[in-house]
Amino acid sequence: MNLEAFHFIGPAIVLLAGAVLVLLADLATGRRACVRPLAMLTLAAAALYAATQAAADTGGQAFGGAIGVDRFTIYVALLLIVITAAVVVAGEPGLTRVAQRGEFYALLLASTASMMLLAQARDLVAIFVALETTSAVQYILVGLGRDARASEAGLKYLLTGAIAAAVLLYGFVLLFGIAGSTSLADISRAVAETGDETRLAVVVAFVLIAAGVGFKMAIVPFHAWVPDVYQGAATPVTVFLSAASKAAGFAIALRLFYTGLGGGDTPVSADWAKLFGVLAAVSMTLGNLAAIQQTDVKRLLGYSSIAQAGNIAVGLAAVATGSTLGPAAVLFFLGTYAATNLGAFIAVIAVGARVGSDELRDYAGLLRRSPGLAIVLVLCLLSLTGLPPTAGFLAKLYVFNSAVQGGEQWLVWLVVVAVFNTALSAYYYLRWARTILLDEPLDPAPFQPPAATNAVLTAAALGVLFFGIVPTPLIDAARSAAAALA
Amino acid sequence: MSPLDQLFSNYLPVFLGTGIGAILVISALVGSRLLAPYSEERNKGTTYECGMLPIRRASTNVGMRFYLYAILFIVFDVEAVFIFPWALSYLAVGPQAYWEMVVFVGILAVGLAYAWKKGALRWQ
Repeated sequence: MNLEAFHFIGPAIVLLAGAVLVLLADLATGRRACVRPLAMLTLAAAALYAATQAAADTGGQAFGGAIGVDRFTIYVALLLIVITAAVVVAGEPGLTRVAQRGEFYALLLASTASMMLLAQARDLVAIFVALETTSAVQYILVGLGRDARASEAGLKYLLTGAIAAAVLLYGFVLLFGIAGSTSLADISRAVAETGDETRLAVVVAFVLIAAGVGFKMAIVPFHAWVPDVYQGAATPVTVFLSAASKAAGFAIALRLFYTGLGGGDTPVSADWAKLFGVLAAVSMTLGNLAAIQQTDVKRLLGYSSIAQAGNIAVGLAAVATGSTLGPAAVLFFLGTYAATNLGAFIAVIAVGARVGSDELRDYAGLLRRSPGLAIVLVLCLLSLTGLPPTAGFLAKLYVFNSAVQGGEQWLVWLVVVAVFNTALSAYYYLRWARTILLDEPLDPAPFQPPAATNAVLTAAALGVLFFGIVPTPLIDAARSAAAALA
Repeated sequence: MSPLDQLFSNYLPVFLGTGIGAILVISALVGSRLLAPYSEERNKGTTYECGMLPIRRASTNVGMRFYLYAILFIVFDVEAVFIFPWALSYLAVGPQAYWEMVVFVGILAVGLAYAWKKGALRWQ
């Protein structure tokens, strides 16, 4: 082993060191003022490190092939850093119920680091360790609030997470039994040679793994924790879960199913294509139907994130049928979804900090009370619906296009279901937008969010518009990331 | 016989053992219920049929403090478990092993400092 191995996981090491520093600074000074700038500084350093890795086109494996770095891992790492930075910069107003600021920022950084390692892992043991580190940190983050609701959310997340981890481990054990190795490269070779006698074991293994990873991606039927946890956790934690955790979940799903189970040309790929196809259709439909009935915006966004996970899973199904556009479409969707969701949730934080509740009716007449905030929120809602000229439209277009390109009859039907669901989702997204734009405000007093919130909201809005009109930079990045995956 | 069937057939004794165990327990319970004389006497329901009446609940609360100590103990327990194999392979790996252990113990020390500062070590 040499120092290059540590260079490969450099950004994660920077973040972990930053987490320890934040915790120590919080202990030593006892003042809240110093931890947030320190966390931002750490994220900037990690972003710089990842950017130099990208510029030097770093690639290779280390730690006995358990950890690798390529364009895919760097894409995911930068995406995660941007999401975490947005939470750190604009999350402060949403932390009124969280007294332990030092712990919050330290855990946030540690969770980001372990998700970056998760994307880099190429070995079942490394994947499991990284995934569980991510989860363990997030259980605490969810339960950090000083009220019964946060504790309940934390416990629910912990219990469902523990079950998901056990199920995932069963799947891993079966894969290890089939391949005789924990390395994804060996496993993909073994799966490619699947004969009739081991076929059932492979199918059971990937169903179990899909269940374990599905918990992270929050797709039906592994979604039961989402609304309660999203509502109970402090809103900045909810943002982090809905954007970062979901991105990490889909990244590891791509890695496991595309690299590990051999992409679109193995004897079992038709099976897992259908599995993800069914999960996608059910996720979209259930998520949208449940979201329509919500009056709490955090629950609404929770169900909406389940439905969006269904949209991304259409891309996963396409990957399995050998669609070459699939992985890039999924990665592009994750990027645009992060920008959109950050914008929406940070607007929710700003309104929640002002109004003190997350009820839908408190958004009435927001346009007259805080025009900038209202416009960004409406833009993000349009992007979540998937209307042009926003990034959400192109993301859906690419994912659905990749499914059609897969060339199977049932995939076309899946896209039909997805388009129908888009119409369904328009009902509640646009109802929310109408409340913001047209309704009489309950309390007409105007207000201005803090400068940091405004900055992140502007960045999110620009991202949603920019990638909706000029998607090429992000598409190219997603394509080269996907190429590294194959 | 395919390799997979072979794998599962290894577990046949386990399944048999589970089945026989379950049958034994169920037949003992059902048999004693059917064969033994059964009295509806109220005193049969008390903890001791004769002697003292029990006071208070049998389950008591355990202080949170013990929980904190248990967690801290596990931290150092795990640390010790890691240090033993490290000590054995120390000479083979060289200076890198030393620094890795310094980092590992350092992170745990930060955890201890955290617990200390937050008053977890104070017995109040």
